[in-house]
Amino acid sequence: MSDIQLSVQGLCKTFHPGLFEADVEALKGLSFEVGRGEIFGFLGPNGAGKTTTIKAICEIIRPDAGTISVCGHPHTAPEAKRRLGFMSESPYVYRHLSGREYLRFCGELLGLPRTGMEERIAVVLDEVGMASRADRGLGTYSKGMQQRIGLAQALLGDPELLILDEPMSGLDPLGRRDVRDIILARAAAGATVFFSSHIIPDVEALCDRVAIVVDGTLRAIGAVNELLARDPVSYELTFTGADVGGLATPLEASHERSDATWVRVATPLRDALLAELGGRGALLLSLNPVRISLEDLLVEHSEEPTS
Amino acid sequence: MRAIRAIAANTFREAIRDRILYLFVGFALALVVSTKLFGMLTVGDEAKIVKDIGLASIQFFSMLIAVMMSMLLVSREVDSRTVFIILAKPVRRWQFLVGKYLGLVAIVAANLVFITLVLAVMVLAYTGQWDPMLFFAAAMTLLEMLVLAAFAILFAVLTRPILGSLMTLAVFVVGHTSAELWLLTRQLPGTLTRGLVAVVYYLIPNLERFNFRTEVVHGLPIPPAAVGWAVVYAIAFAAVALVLAALRFRSKDLR
Repeated sequence: MSDIQLSVQGLCKTFHPGLFEADVEALKGLSFEVGRGEIFGFLGPNGAGKTTTIKAICEIIRPDAGTISVCGHPHTAPEAKRRLGFMSESPYVYRHLSGREYLRFCGELLGLPRTGMEERIAVVLDEVGMASRADRGLGTYSKGMQQRIGLAQALLGDPELLILDEPMSGLDPLGRRDVRDIILARAAAGATVFFSSHIIPDVEALCDRVAIVVDGTLRAIGAVNELLARDPVSYELTFTGADVGGLATPLEASHERSDATWVRVATPLRDALLAELGGRGALLLSLNPVRISLEDLLVEHSEEPTS
Repeated sequence: MRAIRAIAANTFREAIRDRILYLFVGFALALVVSTKLFGMLTVGDEAKIVKDIGLASIQFFSMLIAVMMSMLLVSREVDSRTVFIILAKPVRRWQFLVGKYLGLVAIVAANLVFITLVLAVMVLAYTGQWDPMLFFAAAMTLLEMLVLAAFAILFAVLTRPILGSLMTLAVFVVGHTSAELWLLTRQLPGTLTRGLVAVVYYLIPNLERFNFRTEVVHGLPIPPAAVGWAVVYAIAFAAVALVLAALRFRSKDLR
């Protein structure tokens, strides 16, 4: 992969909660790379190490081992931080500031030029749909509005790498659509987007590649289509001229409709079922393969024991 | 430097929009204004008693503001995780702490100026004389607060807010008594107690170095060397406490 924007190599992190509590090994040698312009989904069940990885990239926690580079710089370097926009899982904002004041504060931290800063703030406020509410106190915002302001501060420095931890959580369908549009627009403009999410349809719709992390280790990585391009897990058939009750082949599911019978059968039993239906003189109307979904893949990896 | 200034300004703004600060300032003002009552009830020069109690009140409430606001504003930033967004930007961890510290010092200084101004106006009303030395005493109190706020930041990084507040209060109490304890124990033969007091004496700043209240109230001469040493002493102790805080914060995982 050329032009790596985010490289995580051999990342390890163990938390030591206290004297009388067991250590928690959150990351166990996690490695992956994200290329320029990619929209990269980071999936995993709760406690898999997603947020720990993101916190390590953003230098909120220190990894015990491993290296991270952001846009070709060590992740701790100011050059890396200037190229990075980060939005945390929950919108952690200052209640004493208005939305605009908060963005001004973030602009100062980023070292944005003062001339043009107000214009830049107006652009991102417009981008996240908060222009009309920017002068209200953040303490009066709903969670969705705080999430939008959180996204605005991440976009403020026009980052090359956008890291979003659960960006859709807490948003209504309209908000989710807006965030999806922003992610797509940023990627179209050449930025790299790395985001974690529990909302699988969003990941499937947006991501060029995904990584599945379970128990602090990488279980799968690749383009969504590649990961899902396997043999069908089952087949769905519709037919007429035979009753489900009389079939000897075990079925996963069935339904008697007024015009036809619908059944689902596991892949290894497909031919046996077809032979049986043929023997009974049934008329086959359709035969459709059922492929694994990203959600199925995530569940499959989550249930797999750790090696 | 811009990041430090932005964090300091944000800290200052957060404090002045917080009701707790006004509670402290209100109590301090009430006490300063009521010094007239103490003056009437006490035998002696009324103006001197007003100045003495007024300056002591200013010191006490400045200490409360320094300790409580340091704990509140630093731990709130970590507990509410707003610090995540700061650290993901091109801001070093030590810059965050220095920014918080300077913001807190600015709050304490602004309150000191305001309450001292009220005291000076009261003294002017009673005596018909403007006493600029009250502002000198307040400046020395500010030096003391530079040290206490730095210790408060150190304890905020090391431990939980309540324990950190208690530890900073302990520094305030011990810092005002350690010199006397030290003098007392030097009269004793070499014992473990003497050793322990020596450790405390050298580790905890001697806050009496910043106390020029007697000189100001009674119009006594103030040796410039004592003032110079107080400045150096305050900067040295505050710097050491901040460096220790930065070293601890550098390796701290924020969750």
